[in-house]
Amino acid sequence: MSLVIATRAELIKNKRSAAFWLCLIGSAFMPFIFFLTFTLRPDLNYARLAAEPWQAHLGKGWQNFSAFLLPMFVILTCSLIPQVEYKNNTWKQVFASPLSIGDIFFSKYLSIISMVFFLFVMFNVFMLLAGVAADLIHPKYTFLEKAVDWKWLIKMNFKSFISLLAIISIQYWLSLRFRNFIVPIGIGLGLLVSALILMPWEHINKVPYAFPLLSFAGSGGPEAAKSGLLASHEIYSILYFLVFTLLGFADMRFRKERG
Amino acid sequence: MTIPVVVKTTHLNFSFRNGIKTLDDVNLEVPQGSIYGFLGPNGAGKTTTLRLLLGLLKNQDGKLELFGQQFSGHRLDILRRLGSLIEQPSLYLHLTAKENLEIYQLVYKTGKKRVNEVLELVGLAQTGRKKARQFSLGMRQRLAIAIALLNQPELLILDEPTNGLDPNGIIETRELIKKLNKEYNTTVIVSSHILNEVEKMATHLGIIHKGRMLFQGPLQELQQMKTRQSMLEIETNDNARAITILSSQYAVQEKENLLLLPYGNKQQTAGITQLLVREGLDVYAIHPRQSDLEQLFIEITSNNI
Repeated sequence: MSLVIATRAELIKNKRSAAFWLCLIGSAFMPFIFFLTFTLRPDLNYARLAAEPWQAHLGKGWQNFSAFLLPMFVILTCSLIPQVEYKNNTWKQVFASPLSIGDIFFSKYLSIISMVFFLFVMFNVFMLLAGVAADLIHPKYTFLEKAVDWKWLIKMNFKSFISLLAIISIQYWLSLRFRNFIVPIGIGLGLLVSALILMPWEHINKVPYAFPLLSFAGSGGPEAAKSGLLASHEIYSILYFLVFTLLGFADMRFRKERG
Repeated sequence: MTIPVVVKTTHLNFSFRNGIKTLDDVNLEVPQGSIYGFLGPNGAGKTTTLRLLLGLLKNQDGKLELFGQQFSGHRLDILRRLGSLIEQPSLYLHLTAKENLEIYQLVYKTGKKRVNEVLELVGLAQTGRKKARQFSLGMRQRLAIAIALLNQPELLILDEPTNGLDPNGIIETRELIKKLNKEYNTTVIVSSHILNEVEKMATHLGIIHKGRMLFQGPLQELQQMKTRQSMLEIETNDNARAITILSSQYAVQEKENLLLLPYGNKQQTAGITQLLVREGLDVYAIHPRQSDLEQLFIEITSNNI
């Protein structure tokens, strides 16, 4: 139960914090750009979106989101949440309060994961809103007439989330390790770009920073049908997550100097 | 009747990674119900000691006991019973005073009512939606003290709580500490590098210098201790003869061409001078020498005039 309490306390810390605004604005950014192009240049979009408007719109959105924006937001969020303690010099108060090291480590972890969850929810909401709002302004669009493929959307969200676990665990550890938040962000972005360059490599399914894009690529087509619920890189993602979570926790637990 | 001890360290030693010994055989004893002034110049090892008490540094050597329990193995039990403020206030600057307290109210499971009580106690009840970022340093310090008071601690550890405060803030903090001690019997450890300030509130004193405890005990004992430690320094043209003359009455020792004997008072100094002159010795110099403690006091006080 103490973990629940510690996590509630963590959520108060994130009120109006940079991480909160990043997730809110980050999730709204792309849907807003879509909304603008739909309303300002409908002529370019009518034909493309006529048959399967939601599939085309959501597919395009998730493609861009998975490749770069999503991992980048996760890298930033993982840095910003522990940064609240570094910036305010509050680690010492956290460690001097009656919380076990496990509660401290996992409550922050849970608050990062819930922030990523919030990002996912808001991104979906804003994507759907962009379509609906565009249709209300230009009724020639068919968003309101055609159904959303909820099954695809839920699967996409689920697989993306699993694919991100590896990055979350690595970035969280880095962010706890380095006081200067530029370090984990720099390492994270470097690895993300490297992963995108390495995309054609046959072992890309073992490179954590490529996982979100691989999950998107596997979300449609024949590959997805035969791969079952989890693709190989998603299983790797879970394994990385377990290993780095353990490493991060051990690092905090056995550190000689805290706060 | 012995007063129970709230904090006790035995042969505490600590070195940072650079190998320099920060604490050297520190034996701290804080009696229950006392205001323990932990005094020493900057860099003497005060914060290191307090960080060890809170488990912020891993104990390397020696025993650490709080409330009669070993720190290792009872970390949570111990931390639940104390409140702390180490160095600068630990506040979330993007949150209001109330939100800052709500975080720790959850952690200490004190009930929501307590938040308003401590805000009232430190005089921050009217800050409303103002963020901690907009607070003055004095207000931030008071909010940090409010956090330390949330769980009605039996022991309050305050590291330089008046650092950077204006004279008014210093007086307010001092009065608050005295009030907590008197009304709630809270034991308080308050560290400072200002002798003057600590003397105004402490019942007990611990003086640390270069990682070693030079003095520990009730405030009154300090004066006696100062006298006991003082030495009279004498320089003559024939130290060997002077020792023969004086050794029947005093414990004289020779050190670097100087004679040293325990200092009594002014009359004693005059008597010794007369005695030596009568015996035909030339007395070049005779004066009380500052003890380590006095030397330290000068250091402590002169740094902060």
